[in-house]
Amino acid sequence: MDGRIIVRLEQLFGKERVLTNQTDLMTYSYDASFATQLEPKEPEIVVIPQSTEEISACVKLANEYKVPLYPRGAGTAQTGGPVPVMGGIVMDLSRMNRILEIDHKNMQVVIEPGVVQANLNNALKEYGLFFPPDPGSAKMCTIGGMVANNSSGLRAVKYGNTRFYVLGLEVVLPTGDVIITGGSKSKALKSVSGYDLAHLMVGSEGTLGIITKLRLKVLPLPPGRGIVLCSFSKLEQAGEAVNALFRSGILPSALEIMDQQCTKAANLMRPQLALPENEALLVIEADGSKEEVASQVKRITEVIRQFTDYVKFSDEPEECQQLWQARQIVGAATGRLKPGGFRVYGGEDICVPLSRLPETLRKIHEIARSYNIVCAIYGHIGDGNLHTSPVINRRDKEEIENAKKMIEDIHRLAIEMEGTTTAEHGVGIVRAQYMEIEHGTALEVMKAIKRTLDPNNILNPGKMALPV
Amino acid sequence: MKQLTTVESMYSCVRCGACREACPTLSITGREADGPRGRVLMARNLIEGVIPVNDEIKEQLDRCLLCSACVDACPVDVAVPDIVMMAKEKISEVSPQKGVTGTVGKWIFRKLLPFPRRLQKLGHLLWIYQKSGLQNVVRKLGVMKLFPESLQQMERAMPEILPPSRRSPHPPLTPSERKDQNGPSHSAPRAALFQGCIMDMMFRSTNENTIRFLAKSGFDVVTPGQQVCCGALHTHNGEKQTAVQLAKKNIEVFEQANVDYIVSNAGGCGAMLREYEELFRDDPEWLPRARKFCQKVKDVSEVAVQKGTVPQAAGQGERITYQPSCHLQYVMGVKDAPKKLLRSVADAQYVELPEAGYCCGSAGIYNLLQEQMANDILDKKMGNVAKTRANVIVTANPGCLLQMKMGIERAGMKGSVEAVHIVDYMVEAMERNNQSQTAENQEKLQMQSV
Repeated sequence: MDGRIIVRLEQLFGKERVLTNQTDLMTYSYDASFATQLEPKEPEIVVIPQSTEEISACVKLANEYKVPLYPRGAGTAQTGGPVPVMGGIVMDLSRMNRILEIDHKNMQVVIEPGVVQANLNNALKEYGLFFPPDPGSAKMCTIGGMVANNSSGLRAVKYGNTRFYVLGLEVVLPTGDVIITGGSKSKALKSVSGYDLAHLMVGSEGTLGIITKLRLKVLPLPPGRGIVLCSFSKLEQAGEAVNALFRSGILPSALEIMDQQCTKAANLMRPQLALPENEALLVIEADGSKEEVASQVKRITEVIRQFTDYVKFSDEPEECQQLWQARQIVGAATGRLKPGGFRVYGGEDICVPLSRLPETLRKIHEIARSYNIVCAIYGHIGDGNLHTSPVINRRDKEEIENAKKMIEDIHRLAIEMEGTTTAEHGVGIVRAQYMEIEHGTALEVMKAIKRTLDPNNILNPGKMALPV
Repeated sequence: MKQLTTVESMYSCVRCGACREACPTLSITGREADGPRGRVLMARNLIEGVIPVNDEIKEQLDRCLLCSACVDACPVDVAVPDIVMMAKEKISEVSPQKGVTGTVGKWIFRKLLPFPRRLQKLGHLLWIYQKSGLQNVVRKLGVMKLFPESLQQMERAMPEILPPSRRSPHPPLTPSERKDQNGPSHSAPRAALFQGCIMDMMFRSTNENTIRFLAKSGFDVVTPGQQVCCGALHTHNGEKQTAVQLAKKNIEVFEQANVDYIVSNAGGCGAMLREYEELFRDDPEWLPRARKFCQKVKDVSEVAVQKGTVPQAAGQGERITYQPSCHLQYVMGVKDAPKKLLRSVADAQYVELPEAGYCCGSAGIYNLLQEQMANDILDKKMGNVAKTRANVIVTANPGCLLQMKMGIERAGMKGSVEAVHIVDYMVEAMERNNQSQTAENQEKLQMQSV
């Protein structure tokens, strides 16, 4: 790389915000993916911008010197998305974390991309509002990253994913030009004027532009919630129960499944939970006013009782917290299934049609058994999204190789089940090899869009099976 | 004892990032290397020999406050401070600290802190410095200007040292003052005061107030005279062997004291005492004794709220806020007890401090070694204090107390805001309540006689 670019970047950002130390570079070589645990990739430079102007100037410099540039939020991705696989500059956007405007009269907010989801919701609470998409990483992930990956979470079954809440974006294009999507001066909550460029950026994983400002829709915060926890001796019963719920006109705000290994893990971590270790545990949430919650909880339990006798429920905040705990800790608890266990994030985000969910769960366990790997599965059964959680010994080479093969098999299984390899985490480097199978000729259109917007292939190259 | 060894915990970090928002240094610079994930990776690479020992890696790891906020936030309990310490030990093995800091540091850790009598002598010297007029001369001449800014501020924030005559050993037994309510005094729980080394020299009156506070709250208080420094500063500065010696001595002394609780009024010391088990992980002879010791260790607020009966206290209309000690809230896990005490005070308004979870930047001697970062952290903290509009910042650890006093100086709040230790605040408020009740009773008596 041309050394002069470092001098130019230092002029732009000041020395403090241009990092070139070996140790600094090392700490930008990963995200939360298993792939980058095994094969980290260091950038040559890291920059920490504070304004759209700096970002635009930096992108122009990258074009001038033909150096790749990788936007990064909190680095909580499980896809390798923000990792500099082709070398070059990583841009850490986590410092651009100001909430610029809470426009409660117009039910929208304007924020910078580095705002953490939980911090936005804390600020919104006093206005009685909330930003619904809630990934498991809500406490640490940035909303810029959520938009770039179109993430969602537990409540997607009722509130949908991030996409639904994006009204407009300020974006630095791969050439350095700045655009505002969704109407440059608009504060409208709906607009069909022109191509929907905001939603072209949503889920583009930093390959088409750097999001520098976001105008987001927010909703009234439901004052109450209730939880129903139920256990099924057979997976199929859980699947039927979910179907029956929907057909009785009930739309829960969360509808979660934990398999036998998950309940076992949760019991290991918190013995006082004393969860029944059956094939499936469902945790169902209803939200709304106190009366709405009470009546929903009643209806849910009535439906569920047709399939199992083990049903617990509550609409008291403290008891709800107790019932919800199992789901809350499961991600971390799976590591307990094995002494010194390491939870692998890989094959962790498949999504299949609801009708094929029990079958898919059984097949994943067959795959795990064939590689002799301990594996737990939990996920959002309300939308068919499963988080598989293999647990291995981080220092056992053979087990690592087996885990890699298992991840591949799970992804293939998802496609075979008429599903997708990723529902809310993204493609990055870890799922790029399935892009062609999943999209066919549509991938060619994606490539064409990329070439048009990013002629020098500057932004986040080497991801999503786009040309390098 | 911790479930995972330090090495195991180093390998269980999945880099989910749950620690990011908890880390005070990351919140200042935003550099990944100033956050827990980055530190675990750097430490691991150093320990595995992937990167060499050099100044760069040393400087990076030295920036960690070791506050443990990240451990509290971690879903799988990755012991980041222990991992950083393990790496620092490797650094000091390969390139021992040279120059004045190294020599002076070693002398302080090995020859001063472990010996209560030597510390008391230092206390005499400091007292002479303050009382002989030398302090005034130094301040007038501006001699302190020759020293780094943080030392200047620390000199100004230094508490008044009590004269040697008032620093004789604490009484071996102070009986509970609540005999009337709790039956005969032999049924009162026995609490031993852990007096600390620097604590007892510089904050002597806080120790005295702790005895008073515990006795008023229904404990028989014993103060074993043979106790020594807890060893926290040693463990944090790679002097583990000295720490082990100190721990053994304390375990012996407090076994003989035959008490129900060992009570600390300094979060930093209490956390160290609670971690004695870790020191003897591989020592089957001492491990059971250490475990028994650890189970008795309590913070003064914790033991008073859980096991005592705290008398009514009264303020004088002030607004109070609480800056937690990191070791108290994250290592000892005591989060609510101090707030409970403060909320119980009549005629005072308790206000929650925004971002109270962040360390104040004191962190042992961090504020001397990492001046810039410590000051940035402190300034941010004082900005939050200003938001509360409190007149009193209550702390639960001497280091935090000094740091808050420095913060008040830096932010120009002197005169409008004061920093106090929770025990000093509570004892004063209890006595105030007592006096006003006595006055009320007298008034009633007078009324009756009229």
